[in-house]
Amino acid sequence: MSDRRLRAAIVVLATLGGGIATYLTVAHFAHVQVACVTGGCETVQTSRYAELGGVPVAVIGLAGYVLLAATAGFRSDLARVAGAAAALGGFVFAVYLIWVQVHVLGAICQWCMASDFLLALLVPATLLRLRDTP
Amino acid sequence: MDSGFCVLRELRSVSLRTLMWRTTDALRRLPAYGAGMSRKRLVLLAVVAAVLVGGSLVAAMVLTQGGTARTTAAPAGAQRVAAMLRGVPQQGTVLGAAHAPVTLLEFADPQCPYCAHWAREALPVLVRDYVRSGQVRIVFNGMHFVGPDSATALRTAFAAAAQNRFWNVLELLFENQGTENTGWVSDSLLRSIGGSVAGLDTTRMLDARGSASVERLIAGADALAQQAGVTSTPTFFVGRTGSALKGVNVSSLDAAGLRPALDAALRQ
Repeated sequence: MSDRRLRAAIVVLATLGGGIATYLTVAHFAHVQVACVTGGCETVQTSRYAELGGVPVAVIGLAGYVLLAATAGFRSDLARVAGAAAALGGFVFAVYLIWVQVHVLGAICQWCMASDFLLALLVPATLLRLRDTP
Repeated sequence: MDSGFCVLRELRSVSLRTLMWRTTDALRRLPAYGAGMSRKRLVLLAVVAAVLVGGSLVAAMVLTQGGTARTTAAPAGAQRVAAMLRGVPQQGTVLGAAHAPVTLLEFADPQCPYCAHWAREALPVLVRDYVRSGQVRIVFNGMHFVGPDSATALRTAFAAAAQNRFWNVLELLFENQGTENTGWVSDSLLRSIGGSVAGLDTTRMLDARGSASVERLIAGADALAQQAGVTSTPTFFVGRTGSALKGVNVSSLDAAGLRPALDAALRQ
């Protein structure tokens, strides 16, 4: 796949992920319940795992997606490394949070899972970009 | 003296110029960072950075949230109570804006079934319609005449007041109310309640149950109940904040029972 297509794919995936993170961030600060079909969103969003050092996890996710989209805007090696590192690092954190949902909270948040799925797609996209470094 | 000052000024100007030049140069070369590195090294760099980022986030979460061990099961009503109180200010035993024009004073015992009914049926509506908008603040005056479990429950809730999570703990106690004085206010239940409340340090709450500040709150609540002549629960007083409050004979234990008194106080 060409670098141009990979960059476009990264922008699309990061924008979708950023949309989810923005929705969860707004819901957090506006104190409204999120739409949920899995029934566990509120449990997850109001749990002690929804914040890290007082910062909502959704905000951390939003920052990550903004960084990922930004790396797609550059062709440099640094951008490729930063993109792969952000996607891989985010995915490691996402896997831990899935484990927390299943084994600690016993509740699944559909928005978190959708974001995790997008991150899972961003990992190969950013790694392919890194592999194809000219 | 003058020449020394000039030399110093020259040195400072040179070092500042050098610093600015180096910074600009570093920023200019940043996009090209890694150029010339082998692909293998770039991948290694990305993996190391990813492990650092992801590992740091996981470690920070594990350290701040007390590990990844399975917590005790969430108590009944945890989700409902968290949603009801989310974003509503709490200061000690006061729920709502400190400068709300009207105050609702509630006398209740954590073991009183009617109080639990009121907490489930009326409170969520009143919070939604009056407290969230900053019109009314609710002050809780705890009583413990039903028995030992009342005292344990009240001490725990008062201990949570120091962390401004009094109402979360109180409402979850009402949600999980057991048969009077059977020891239902167990440490296991309290740990489960504490673990489900975001931002509450459960151990600190449990340790503070016998503290001087909790003793003062208990003594103050007892004195106020005696002064107000309250002999049954729940009992309510309503009035303008800062003025004398008047007792309300509620017609029902749902929100409608208090609406006339609250609306009248708001119109004053």
